[in-house]
Amino acid sequence: MQDILDGIRQAILAGEEEDARRLVGDGLEKGLEPRRIMEGAMMPAMEDIGERFSRGEAFIPELIVAAEAMQRGMEVLKPHLGGPERGSGLVLLGTVHGDIHSIGKNLVRMCLEGTGFEVVDVGEDVKTERFVEAYREHRPDILGLSALLSSTMQRIPEVVEAVRAEDKAAVIMVGGAPVTQEFADQSGADGYAPNAFEAAKKARELLG
Amino acid sequence: MTGKDRMLEAFARREPDRVPVWEMAFNEESIIKLGALYTDDLPPMKFAQQMTMEEKVKLLTTLFTVARELELDGISSIGLLGTEPVDDEHVRDGWGRILRVSEEGEATAVGGPVREPSDLKGLEAYHPQPTDFLMLMAAAGNLGTDVAQVLVQPGPFRESWSLMGSMEKLLYHYIKNPSFVKDLAQVVTDYILEVVDMAYDNGADIIGLDGDLAFNQTTLISPAQYEEFIFPYHQQITEHAHRRGKLIFKHSDGNMWPIMDGIADAGFDGFHPVQPQCMDIGEVKKRYGDRLCILGNIDCTYLLPFGSEEEVAESVKETIRVAAPGGGYIISSSNSIHPGVKPENYVAMVKAARRYGAYPISIEE
Repeated sequence: MQDILDGIRQAILAGEEEDARRLVGDGLEKGLEPRRIMEGAMMPAMEDIGERFSRGEAFIPELIVAAEAMQRGMEVLKPHLGGPERGSGLVLLGTVHGDIHSIGKNLVRMCLEGTGFEVVDVGEDVKTERFVEAYREHRPDILGLSALLSSTMQRIPEVVEAVRAEDKAAVIMVGGAPVTQEFADQSGADGYAPNAFEAAKKARELLG
Repeated sequence: MTGKDRMLEAFARREPDRVPVWEMAFNEESIIKLGALYTDDLPPMKFAQQMTMEEKVKLLTTLFTVARELELDGISSIGLLGTEPVDDEHVRDGWGRILRVSEEGEATAVGGPVREPSDLKGLEAYHPQPTDFLMLMAAAGNLGTDVAQVLVQPGPFRESWSLMGSMEKLLYHYIKNPSFVKDLAQVVTDYILEVVDMAYDNGADIIGLDGDLAFNQTTLISPAQYEEFIFPYHQQITEHAHRRGKLIFKHSDGNMWPIMDGIADAGFDGFHPVQPQCMDIGEVKKRYGDRLCILGNIDCTYLLPFGSEEEVAESVKETIRVAAPGGGYIISSSNSIHPGVKPENYVAMVKAARRYGAYPISIEE
């Protein structure tokens, strides 16, 4: 069984979508626990990519193909996972009003999904009231806010305040090029991460 | 010495009479706020795509007034590709790209004619039209040849991903379909070569090749991927510029260290903007000052939007001390004068550049 798990992990790392899909199917057929496939092969693969990234051995293309292979594997695995619908947790993600940049947020989404989170992506240029509505609708475990510009970053505290008025206990993470730990603290956010991999780690920490 | 002389001397990595001052871009709101310091005849506050032709002309005139009042040594123009509205938030350009317009910066492609590699074959290349260079022509006509004319044009990476409507889609094919990535890069490079020619024919002295290749921590792609997928096209473009006897520099935000050797080897004459959060300008000067003119570095993420005029002046002084001796430095913000920048801080930046930027530089550590 370990060889199937290793195979899945390798397929995701290499971004081999068909192999990932096929091997997850094989694993299920041979009686591997769905949770074990998730936690013993798929999540470690994304952690491997994160480590390679931090060592300067993997870059964004490698992350993107791995996330894609992970998705293909998840499509097979998901119907068998059962249990709580939300996997590691549900994250509501969006870029604040005035900011149309998507790539940073999309990379965070890939890393979150790669570590078992469900993600509702509300897109870019999202007005504060839309964040509140989406929060009310989805009741996520974490709200993630992104901004690429130092001007649009100023909207983050406003969203934090508005969402906290809806739910005092809301767990909120922030990130994006101009955002710093200091700014996150001043905004009243619970978490900050300097990149997508760290964001996924931080999300798990916050819910742990 | 004219502003243009100063810019060209800096690109030749020699000392002009003073450090040249230039910006890659000013947003509409910044132009109007800065313009208000010098004139009452201003366009309404909205973004260019929503302005009437008359209002656009007034916006440009205001920019030229600001450039004249602040005695900027160079002025930047962008290609103004004709677009047709799709809906309130989107327009379509001559390539068939769908662009989302934004209050806070330039329009970004969200959909393109090359959704899949198989679409490339049927892609009808757009060829630059004289009207695309109206801003450059207006700048050249209005400010004359005493000012260096810079045309900012997206590079092959940015043109490629915008034709796909998303950067992620292009980067996916870096691994899945390398030959498609190269074919697409060649299509857009052929287009860029035409743009470069027409820009030089219409008065440009310098091309700025736009399109970020890095983020705060590192480059988007590995050095090997840069060598394979971008370097050959950069080289074609710089060689073309040099055949015309003209200059070209690369712009990219973020930490470009992993591919800086490639940028210098590709033949660029300069590098902008040396984002201070990610790259130390002293180190860039030390390692590449003999090959590249360095442009930028005055922080527009925190300092220009939130700092005081004194802090701006202090940063200008320190940056000039480190980067200007020996020539090869043009001062500008670390990206652009965007709506968050306080107009008085930009003016303070320009004034400090004049105060501390006279050659020979004599600033004590």
